[in-house]
Amino acid sequence: MRLLNKVLAGVVTAGVGLGAAAAYAEDIRVGITMRMVSENGQAYGQMVMDEIDAINKAGGIHGNMIKATLMNDECKSDKGVANANKLIFQEKVHLLIGSTCSSVSLPIVDVTAKAGVPQMIPHSTNGKITQKGSEWVFRIPVSGRYYGGVAAKYVGENIGKKIAYICAADAASVNDCASMQAQMRKQFGAEPAYVADVQEKEVDFRSHMQKIKSMGVDGIMVAALAETMARALVQSYEAGIGEDVRRIGSSSASNAPVPKIAGDAVKGVFFTAAYSAADSRPIAKLFNEMTRSRYGIHAPDHDFSQAYDLVRIMEMALKNAKLTGSLAEDRTAIRDAIANVQGYQGLASGPISFCAAPTPQCRDGNRTAVLIGYTKGGENFETEVLARVTMDENFGLE
Amino acid sequence: MVFLSWMADFIDSLAKRHRLLPWLIAYVLLLPMPFVLSALFSEYLIDLANRICLFILLAVGLNIVKGFCGQVTVGHIGLYAIGAVTSAVLALEPGGFGGALGFGWPIWLAIPTAVLVTGFAGLIVGLPSVRLEGAYLALATLGLGESVRIFIAVTPALGSSTGLMMIPAPSIGSFVFDSFTSYYYLVMTAAVVGIYFSFSILRSATGRAFQAIREDTIAASVNGINVVKYKLLAFVLSALYAGLAGALFAHMPPGYLHHNNFTVIEMVTLLLMVVLGGIGNVWGGVIGAIVVAIAYDQTKDLVFYFMERPIVIQPLVFGLSMVFLVMFMPRGIGGWIEDFQRNRRFIRRSEERLGGSTRNS
Repeated sequence: MRLLNKVLAGVVTAGVGLGAAAAYAEDIRVGITMRMVSENGQAYGQMVMDEIDAINKAGGIHGNMIKATLMNDECKSDKGVANANKLIFQEKVHLLIGSTCSSVSLPIVDVTAKAGVPQMIPHSTNGKITQKGSEWVFRIPVSGRYYGGVAAKYVGENIGKKIAYICAADAASVNDCASMQAQMRKQFGAEPAYVADVQEKEVDFRSHMQKIKSMGVDGIMVAALAETMARALVQSYEAGIGEDVRRIGSSSASNAPVPKIAGDAVKGVFFTAAYSAADSRPIAKLFNEMTRSRYGIHAPDHDFSQAYDLVRIMEMALKNAKLTGSLAEDRTAIRDAIANVQGYQGLASGPISFCAAPTPQCRDGNRTAVLIGYTKGGENFETEVLARVTMDENFGLE
Repeated sequence: MVFLSWMADFIDSLAKRHRLLPWLIAYVLLLPMPFVLSALFSEYLIDLANRICLFILLAVGLNIVKGFCGQVTVGHIGLYAIGAVTSAVLALEPGGFGGALGFGWPIWLAIPTAVLVTGFAGLIVGLPSVRLEGAYLALATLGLGESVRIFIAVTPALGSSTGLMMIPAPSIGSFVFDSFTSYYYLVMTAAVVGIYFSFSILRSATGRAFQAIREDTIAASVNGINVVKYKLLAFVLSALYAGLAGALFAHMPPGYLHHNNFTVIEMVTLLLMVVLGGIGNVWGGVIGAIVVAIAYDQTKDLVFYFMERPIVIQPLVFGLSMVFLVMFMPRGIGGWIEDFQRNRRFIRRSEERLGGSTRNS
């Protein structure tokens, strides 16, 4: 753990550059709103708090402590907005981190834009988040608009063009599904063989799977949140669809409950994500070891790595920001400091860079998606990295 | 107790001068609330107050059908969703950012239309009550309410999974109700007017017909009350409240709706407000909405650590509260209020009798 922090401290210090020590004597207040309704959700939040605690123990930001407030938004927009309002107007935070779910981050973008508070997105992938034109929002994860392109290219070139889609009704999955279909159409002129729009927590996919089986497709894309995806994968085999039909997951296939619940049905499933636990870099191995020892996580998914990268980028920006004691000015300084982050190389599969313009090109900082395949399911699941692709900043905006 | 009694006497004396006088005074007293909250605490509490006003509208509306008329409905949140989505879609510009349906209507036309549409939906939700009662009616209304949410979730034109975003805030001329404080005056006015009308309904012939149906449907029918008509009327009136609350929720900044805002959990929270407040008691519903909303806000991030694992205890606390309330306080806070009012009346009559007998002697 110490070694991991030392490795990343080097990165952060390099990024700090000539950041001036400011004559600022207060705590730096950071508000966090996340989906804390699952074991993993709580672990993401806990890890962010632990990392902030570690920064404080190491002397804080130029001697100032970070005071973090963590709140649960249950993945509900009204609760997320209430949390954001509470953190901004009651806790008077300098910086807001949130949220896990796109449907919560979307309205919070308007709240932070109006109040003038920098917002760092830890997990949400919906493309519209950065397309609202807010000067205050920064996305750490890979945007959904990139994922679709990467997956479509791999599928069209390696699997086939006759693809069936199971699309759950959560914001990220709908986005992933639509993006993949659009890219298959654009890159290969391939129309979907079958599309089923299902509930966010659908439990019965058997009728869809029977129809898909009769169509003789090359692949099935299951875009859904973790538990729903796992159920769909299991039922695809129960319906008698063979291993020769490749299963394609949306970005949430990266979440640990998928291989745990789906068991052997996850073998062969591939998906795009921002981080792979099978990453061979030393920094990734250290991170895997840290999450295992601290949170009992067998293999951290990209939501862990993104939350971790976010804290490091936040630390870098806070060290660079010239804080004065005026809340409005400090918020602006932190926003500008985040916008100046260039080429941060942490756990993400590629560098993360932001810039000042309130455009998706500037605020979707992470453009490198990694294509990951499951080689083993169950509690001790295993993955392999199939490919790493860095997308053009304009990709998916046409 | 002495203070409450003095207050009640004071309100009675004001009402004797003009029945609207206590309401006007209450309204005037509520006007500076945002400034008081902002000065003494924080701006966030104005946002909380706004949400409480919406909950009050919902709870008071639910009380009409459930408390006054005795119809078991758990589909109220679906009506709230209909009001919200209708008003949002009508007011959104066509071809707007979110890609959802939009008609670009003026907001002041969209809101009343949404209320009327919800009233009509209330009529449909109420139809099963003609044939069903108790748990069966609850199940039917639950199904209708949940199907509304699912319909929104799978319909891209209504926001689907991405939600309806950038719903405009109401405005008068160049003045836009886009801050906590300005929006407070909209929702607070709606809540006060809603409570007043609820009392008016309760004291009218319609209200008495509702109560007669609640006590005994057959006896009410024998006494010439058109049971079907009044049951449906209760559902429609209740739906109008839900529609208004929904429309105001949709336009409340940041102007975003998602089908996750209208789940069974929200319905249970609303029921808790009404049960805690006291089924059938208007003030009970108001107090229930205030207490539950504040309790929810204050407890939602309480975490209890068991074997170093965090456990969010709020759902458990709310669930147990519901069970204990039904077991030990079935009449809710409204029951206390009714007991208090009954005691006051008894004491006053006793004093009048005693005063009369003293004069006679």
